[in-house]
Amino acid sequence: MKILWALVKKEFLQIIRDPSSIIISFVLPLISVLIFMYGINMDSVKVTFGIKNDDYSAEVAHLVNAFGGSKYIDSIVSDDMNDLTQKLVRSEIKGIVSIPNDFSKKLEMGQTADLMVISDGSEVNTANYLQNYVMQISNQWLATGKYAYSMSPMIVTPVIRTWYNQNLNGYFFILPGSIAVTMTLIGILLTALVIAREWERGTMESLLSTRVSKMQIVFGKYIPYFCLGMLSTIFNLILCIGVFQVPFRGNYIVLLFVSGLFLFSSMGIGLLISSKLKNQFLASQVSLGIGFLPALLLSGLVFPINSMPRIVQEITKILPPRHYITFIESEFMVGTVWPVVFKCSALLIVIGLLFFIAVYRSTDMRLTNG
Amino acid sequence: MNTVEISHVTKKFGHLTAVDDLSLNIESGKITGLIGADASGKTTLIRLIIGMLRAECGEISVLGLDPVEQKAELNRKIGYMPQKFGLYEDLTVIENLRLYADLKNVPYEFDKLLEFTSLHKFQKRLAGALSGGMKQKLGLACVLLGTPEFLLLDEPSVGVDPISRRDLMKMVRDLISPTTTVLWSTAYLDEAHSFDTAIVMDKGKVIYDGKPTDLAKTTEEFENKVIDLMGGYKKTKSRIAENYVYKHLDDIDYTVVADNLEKKYGNFYAVRNNSFNIKKGEIFGLLGPNGAGKSTSFKMMCGLLKPTSGTARIMGIDIKQDAEKARSNLGYMAQKFSLYEAISVEQNLKFFARIYGIPKSEVKKRVNEILDIFDLSEQKKRKTKDLSLGFKQKLSMACALIHNPPILFLDEPTSGVDVLTRRDFWNHITSLAKKGITILVTTHFMDEAEYCDRISLFYKGEAIAIGTPSELKKRVSAKTMEDAFIKLIRESDEK
Repeated sequence: MKILWALVKKEFLQIIRDPSSIIISFVLPLISVLIFMYGINMDSVKVTFGIKNDDYSAEVAHLVNAFGGSKYIDSIVSDDMNDLTQKLVRSEIKGIVSIPNDFSKKLEMGQTADLMVISDGSEVNTANYLQNYVMQISNQWLATGKYAYSMSPMIVTPVIRTWYNQNLNGYFFILPGSIAVTMTLIGILLTALVIAREWERGTMESLLSTRVSKMQIVFGKYIPYFCLGMLSTIFNLILCIGVFQVPFRGNYIVLLFVSGLFLFSSMGIGLLISSKLKNQFLASQVSLGIGFLPALLLSGLVFPINSMPRIVQEITKILPPRHYITFIESEFMVGTVWPVVFKCSALLIVIGLLFFIAVYRSTDMRLTNG
Repeated sequence: MNTVEISHVTKKFGHLTAVDDLSLNIESGKITGLIGADASGKTTLIRLIIGMLRAECGEISVLGLDPVEQKAELNRKIGYMPQKFGLYEDLTVIENLRLYADLKNVPYEFDKLLEFTSLHKFQKRLAGALSGGMKQKLGLACVLLGTPEFLLLDEPSVGVDPISRRDLMKMVRDLISPTTTVLWSTAYLDEAHSFDTAIVMDKGKVIYDGKPTDLAKTTEEFENKVIDLMGGYKKTKSRIAENYVYKHLDDIDYTVVADNLEKKYGNFYAVRNNSFNIKKGEIFGLLGPNGAGKSTSFKMMCGLLKPTSGTARIMGIDIKQDAEKARSNLGYMAQKFSLYEAISVEQNLKFFARIYGIPKSEVKKRVNEILDIFDLSEQKKRKTKDLSLGFKQKLSMACALIHNPPILFLDEPTSGVDVLTRRDFWNHITSLAKKGITILVTTHFMDEAEYCDRISLFYKGEAIAIGTPSELKKRVSAKTMEDAFIKLIRESDEK
């Protein structure tokens, strides 16, 4: 115990003397939260499209008006199709709705009237959005206006209510999710350098000739960085809940407990990289590559896991952030859902232990080369 | 009683046999010196003895234990100081001592150690901020904690000045118990000569094992005998010097001039009133304890560091006015090996040829010439990091000389190099000086200081004595250069 305590104390002294680990723990989360808060916007941005109207009837004027504007959309009306096309090419507008001159005439005669919607396929989401929007508005116009008789009566009316996040506020789930990304990065970055550093500076060879055991070396690395990582987690939570006012409906103890498990598992990745590579530069490069990118891309935070290919879906299962994101989103928005907590905790424990065993096994107690 | 018993041990790294069917006993309670050329297998042998490496075949027993299977038990009984001792540079002196005391489960009793290392005043200083000599002393102090039964020291005195070297020796001799066994690997043959037993290794084998005094009575003789054992050194004409062309015909009396060089960090003078003039073809040595300001002076002379006041002139060119032009007259060999390790010997040479301004059309010819002169042709495709220390040294010198500079700056060029390579190296240096090249060199080897035409002894940032080796010796009536060094420094301390 005394030896372990000495190693932990040593590591804390190094943390205090070396500003880089402090920067990683407290400045990085701050930057990350700011980027996720202001830089990434998952809410629909205002889309502008053009209207070319050749039908001057009063009813169509209503329709053009209805297209006119909402919270998320803006339109400009022009008679010059060329001008609109140019604007679309320059990406000033995202689509064009063209109303032919026989539009209302066809409706009067009870025929199907065509409405052309051109959308910019280079931005698929926006294009879909615009198409749906045009559809919705024109249906509404039909149902409430002069031609309502032509519509079959609505039998089913969906009444939409969004639970947990009534206003569909994007950052309510993005920010808690960002904690997962930040914590992965911190867990891996803090630890990726620390075993490699001992090898590079030659301190490992001296350590190995004292009565230090393998378990003590491994725990001597886990404990101090776990404490630092938890402080950083708390700092992150204060930023999200305290500063940015993300509503928190769960239980703080559960949150910290599962966050601890998550930190434990991502530290394992960092330590494994560090003890395998024994080179600080390589270790930091590799940890960014296999730590940060999957956490961002494969965790389900940005891209839904369901839409990934089967094999990639399987891979995401061994990534700690995936499970943590599931947990943290529900903990924030819904409150403590015990089945989710148990499932995520169990998975994080298993992953964390696997990495721990891998770290233990790859910690060399003698020199392998040179 | 033997502390170590080794029979028929072999250790290979890939194709390289580091230790070759070696059998050896190390007697208990004695100090045994381990000497040998670079890459002769000394470090590998020590690492095998403590179980840090696993042998392919053969048997090793240390203090009656198997170092591989019973490593944990063995670790409790030994003190091991690797070549690069693991001091935590971001921990203070006292924190390092406490850490190692905890790791060895001994109480915090450091008074005696602090007194021996004269680190009392520096307890709160970060280990990384200590001078080289003090670092080694602190490292040794950490190893000596808990009075180990068996002490293994891997070249503890590399890069250490004569005074700190004596301190290290004194620490070991005074702080161990009479039953302690010591295995001390060293490149200093005077150290080895003073031990109870000397083991000479060559190409992974033991070629001598016995009393050093049986081999020779005096240190000088001992050195010659050891060199003979290693295959002997035949002084031949230096091809490097023969092929050197002195291109600078302009007549300058003093090729290198330091004019009141001064470097101040805050209130601390790293270098103060440093003035000297070096004549063409002179070998000028800068000596002094670690941290005296030699390297700082060196860096200012090359224009790598800006002097606070004063200046230096290289071939008459003021480094403050045109550092680049002044530098183009220099070949510089840095203290730390500073070539590109990931590329081949040939690629390094080509690179240096280009940055030293050799026209592109001549690079290939010049590189081939240099490869031939330095006997590096066979190694030209090898990656630099795979070279032995001796070859690395040669390559560094080849890079420094590739543009035929009129002046050569050598910062501890022979640190950690074996005695044979050192002799060869100095043969080239003295021959080059005869061809008119001016040489400024720093060293911790006092026998090397004798080769210098003049010496400036540096202490606490100031030159305390300048003169020829015999002048300096006469001044304090010392027999050897080492004695003169120590006496002059003591004298300066008393003032």
